[in-house]
Amino acid sequence: MSSQAPEERKRRKIRLEDLLNNNIWDVDPRPHIKLDTSKCRDCNYKPCVLLCPTGCYTTHGDDVLFSYEGCVECGTCRVVCPEEAITWEYPRSGRGIHFRFS
Amino acid sequence: MGDRFDVIVIGAGPAGSSAAYNLAKKGFRVALIERGRKPGSKNMFGGRVYAKPLEEAFDGLGKAPIHRWVVKERLSIVNKEEYVTVEYTGRGRKSFTTYLTDLTDWMAGRAVDAGATLITEVVVDRLLMRDGRVAGIVSGDDELEADVVVDAEGVNRLVLERSGLVERLTLRHVALGVKEVIKVDKGDIEKFFGLGEDEGLAWVFMGSVSDGLPGGGFFYTNRDSLSLGLVIYLEGAVQGMRRHIYDMVEELRIGPLFSRYVENGRIMEYSAHMIPADPRAIRPPRLVWDGLIVTGDAAGLLINMGYTYRGVDTAAYSGMLAAKAIEEADGDYSASRLKRYEEMLRNSYVGRDLEKFRGVHDLYMNPRLFNEYPALLTGLLRRLYEFDYEGYKFSKAFSEARRGLVSLPRIFLDLLEVYRKL
Ligand SMILES: Cc1cc2nc3c(=O)[nH]c(=O)nc-3n(C[C@H](O)[C@H](O)[C@H](O)COP(=O)(O)OP(=O)(O)OC[C@H]3O[C@@H](n4cnc5c(N)ncnc54)[C@H](O)[C@@H]3O)c2cc1C
Ligand code: SF4
Ligand code: SF4
Repeated sequence: MSSQAPEERKRRKIRLEDLLNNNIWDVDPRPHIKLDTSKCRDCNYKPCVLLCPTGCYTTHGDDVLFSYEGCVECGTCRVVCPEEAITWEYPRSGRGIHFRFS
Repeated sequence: MGDRFDVIVIGAGPAGSSAAYNLAKKGFRVALIERGRKPGSKNMFGGRVYAKPLEEAFDGLGKAPIHRWVVKERLSIVNKEEYVTVEYTGRGRKSFTTYLTDLTDWMAGRAVDAGATLITEVVVDRLLMRDGRVAGIVSGDDELEADVVVDAEGVNRLVLERSGLVERLTLRHVALGVKEVIKVDKGDIEKFFGLGEDEGLAWVFMGSVSDGLPGGGFFYTNRDSLSLGLVIYLEGAVQGMRRHIYDMVEELRIGPLFSRYVENGRIMEYSAHMIPADPRAIRPPRLVWDGLIVTGDAAGLLINMGYTYRGVDTAAYSGMLAAKAIEEADGDYSASRLKRYEEMLRNSYVGRDLEKFRGVHDLYMNPRLFNEYPALLTGLLRRLYEFDYEGYKFSKAFSEARRGLVSLPRIFLDLLEVYRKL
C-alpha cells in the first residue's frame, strides 16, 4: 500500500518495462542485432545506453549488456555507435515490433 | 515469388503505397513489398498530416482514418516549470490527426484496390544489379526481377546503403523521435481544449524539455487518445544526454504542461523511429539511377518548418511523381530518362518548401534556442506578471531577465538569423 495521495501516484513515472508491456512483438528467435561487446569497453560515452528508447543496452561496470527482445527497430543504436560494434538487420518474416496506434 | 512485375516498390509506407497506387491505376504490374506483417505495423510519426497533397496522390481521402481536423495550434517555450504559450485558433481543416499505422494501412489498401500485389513479411536485403543497372531486388535466397524499382524504404535506408548508393547514416543525418500514445476519454479531450467533435489540437514545444539539446516535443489530440513525444537530434546527443531518453519522455508526461490532461489516461503504445535531420546531409547525391527511383524519407524529403514536420504528405507526393516519371519514361528506365522525376520534384511544392526551409536545421543547432532564450522569455514574463505591490517597467524587466544569459548584440544577430531562415 502506498501512503501517497492518488494525485501523487498518478504523477509518478511508469517503469520502462511497464511502458513496453503495452506493445506487441513477435520476437524473432534469431537476434536481428548482434553486438561485439568487446568493443564497448573502449567506448567513451556509450551513447546507446541513454539513447536506445527501449533500454536494450545497459551497463554493468565497464561492460555493456544487450538484449534485443524489446527493440522497436528505430535504428538509433546503429547510427550512434562510434565503434561499429553493432551488426544491425531487420527481423525476418514480419517478426519484431508490431505497432498498432502510432 | 515466381511472377514478373513491371515495377517493384520497396516499402509500403506513405511513399511506396502512393507510388504503387498511382502505377497500378495506370495498368502497371506492381509488387509492393513490405517487411511488416501488415502495412503500417512498422510505421510511426508525430501525429498530423496535411491533407491536400494526400488527396491529390490518392484521388480523394474517401475512407481515410481521419481522427480530428486541426483547428487549434499551440507553441510553447518551456523553461523548467515555467512556460510561455502562443495559441492560434483558425478555420483550420488543412491538416488532420491520425495514427500513421492506420493511415498507412489505408494507403496500401488503395494500392491493392487499384491492382497492386502486396507482399508482406518480406525484407528486401539489397538491389539486384545486372549490367550496371538495377534489375530487381534480392531477399534471402530469392530474387525478384522488374523493369524498374522504386525505393521507398524510409529513413533507415539499409538497401541503399548496402548497394553503395548512399553513405552510411551518421549523427548529422537523423534525429530520434519517441512517443507515448495515451488513451483518454473522447469528451475530456474536447472539454480540455475547447474542441468540437471532430476538431483537433496540434501542440509543439521546445526549451528545457530536451535538456538543452537540439530537439523539441509534440502533442496531438487523436479521436480518443493523445500522442505525446520528444525529438532529439543525434548530433550533440552522444555527449550531451543527461538522462535516459525514456526518462525525458516520462517526465514530460507527468510534468507541468501535460499531467492534468493525461493523469486519468492509460498508455496504449510506446514507440520510436528516426527522422531525417539535416536535409543537405541526408539527401542522396541523386534520386535516380538506371532502373531505380528513390522517394520519401529515403530521399530525405522531410520538411522541418521549425514548428511542424511534414513527411507523410511529401512522401506520398513523391511516390505519385515517381509513378508519373515511370509512366512518361515509356519503357526506357535509364537514369537520364528518369531524371524527369528529379525535375518534377524540384518544381513541386515539395522541392520548393525543402529549399525554402533548408536553413531551419541550422537554427535548431543553436543551443541558445533551448537554454538561454526560454530562460530569458520566462524571466521577462515572470517579472512583468508576478508581483506583490510594485510592478516592473518592461525595459527594466528585460535587462534584468537578460543579465548573464545573452548580450544585446547576440540577441540582435540571432534574431536576424531567425528572420533570414524562417
Ligand atoms: C517522431 C516523428 C514525428 C513525425 N511527425 C510527423 C508529422 O506530424 N507529420 C508528418 O507529415 N510527418 C511526420 N513525420 C515524418 C513521417 O513519419 C515520414 O516522413 C514518413 O513516414 C515517410 O514515409 P516513407 O514512406 O518515406 O517512409 P516510412 O514511413 O518509414 O515507410 C517505409 C516502409 O518501408 C518498409 N521497409 C523498410 N525497409 C524495408 C526493406 N528492406 N524491405 C521491405 N520493407 C522495408 C518499412 O517497414 C516501412 O513500412 C514524423 C516522423 C517521426 C519519426
Ligand atoms: S555505442 Fe557501440 S561501442 Fe559504445 S557501448 Fe554502445 S554498442 Fe558498445
Ligand atoms: S534499434 Fe532502436 S530500439 Fe532497437 S536496440 Fe537499437 S536503439 Fe534500441
